[in-house]
Parts: sequence; C-alpha cells; structure tokens
Amino acid sequence: MSELSVDRRELEGVVLLYPRGFINAHTVRLFEGAIQKALDEGRYRIVVSGAELKYIASAGLGAIMGVVEEIRTNGGDIRLAELNETVQNIFDILGFNHLYRIFPSEVEAILSFREGGGTGSPPA
Amino acid sequence: MIRDVTRRMAEVAGFDGAQADQLALAVDEASTNVIEHAYRGAADRRIELRFDARAGELRVEVVDDGKAVDPQAVPQVDLQRYASERRTGGLGMHLMGRIMDTVTFRRAGRSNVCCMVKRKPAAGSGAAP
Repeated sequence: MSELSVDRRELEGVVLLYPRGFINAHTVRLFEGAIQKALDEGRYRIVVSGAELKYIASAGLGAIMGVVEEIRTNGGDIRLAELNETVQNIFDILGFNHLYRIFPSEVEAILSFREGGGTGSPPA
Repeated sequence: MIRDVTRRMAEVAGFDGAQADQLALAVDEASTNVIEHAYRGAADRRIELRFDARAGELRVEVVDDGKAVDPQAVPQVDLQRYASERRTGGLGMHLMGRIMDTVTFRRAGRSNVCCMVKRKPAAGSGAAP
C-alpha cells in the first residue's frame, strides 16, 4: 500500500505543504485534509512543494481542483513547486500546467505571492 | 504493484521510461475505477491485467468480475469548467484518454473489460503522450 505524509510550515504568510510519497485514491484524504485545514484557518496562499512527492494520481489532482475555486474566490492561490519529472509529466498530460502556476523552486513560488497578491491564473 | 508490473511490461515492449510511467498511471487509474465502481470500494477482489505487445503497440486489458459499469455515465471532463463545478471525480478517465490512443469498455460474460491501446512512437519521433 502506498504511503504518504504531509508536513507543513509557514513562511511570509504562505502555507507550505510537503507531501512525501504517493498521493493516490488510498492516501488522498490526508492530502485533502492538509489543504482543508489551511482553508479552515482562512489561509488561502498555499504552495505544494513536491520535492519528495513521488507520484500523484487523479485523486490528488482532483483534490487540488476541488478547492481552487474557493481559494481564488478568497483572493488566494494554490501553487506548485519542485515537482519531479514524473509528477510534472502527469500535470502536463492533464493540462494542469495551464491552470496552475508551477515553479522550479519553493522560493520562487513563495516570492510569486509578493508580485500581485494571491489570485493568479497561470501565465498563458 | 500494478504500476510496477505495467511499467516493466511497457519497458519490455519498447517504451522509454517516461512513456512507461504514463502507461503505468493509466492502468493504475483503470484499476482504481474498478475498485471504486465495479467493486464498490472493496480492494480485495480480483483484478486481472492482460498485456499484449504487438508490432508497434501495447494493448492492456483490465478485467474485473464486479457489477456492470457504464463508462458513458461518467461526465466528460472540461477542465476549464471542472473547478467551478467543484467536481473531484472523473479525472481518471480523462487521464486514461489523454495517455492512451484508444480506451474502450465492453462486458464479456460476467466481466468488465477495459481495453487500452498505446502505439509506440515511430523511431526518431521523440516521446509522446
């Protein structure tokens, strides 16, 4: 069975989530819970930092899709960083690279919130 | 395990590592759909994988003996509208369709058969989904 842990820290008013392992139908509730906890606290600037994320299935992509409307409506955004090639490839297949801002580094993702506040569609 | 087996079979069939990862994802999604829909969440039921590497393509069949499912009942995903509809399901079928060249479903006796075919890219054409 796949394993997942999701650590969290905060920096510059941004909630950083660190999923480690595999996000799939069996583990997605943990990932959803971490996102939802931030939303329940009124934190709408979120970066999913995926250096240790080995795999994400549609369940995980659905978890992100399921909250992005609420996040952007509240002036925030959910952005991604440090995705490995496998995960980046999955995002590209589904066209998520057109829906979300994805950064090579966590620092760039955090600093991107300085540029124009929270809400942001990805660059065309 | 399903992803590992699929990735290995894809590599044996001549797909490169990135393509094998994609094929593994598609078969993983098909298997997840079987558990969620045909087996109504029961993860201890049988799922049979059939691999057939033919000239220029890999055919994978995911077979279950759960309740009949109607894939046509799954609404098509429009990503631009998906978020505003606050849906969280249906992406698996969408992914399978994006990765594979064909995805078909049939009922065979008491089994559901999801048949997915991926053609190998022509030599020198580079990677492809």
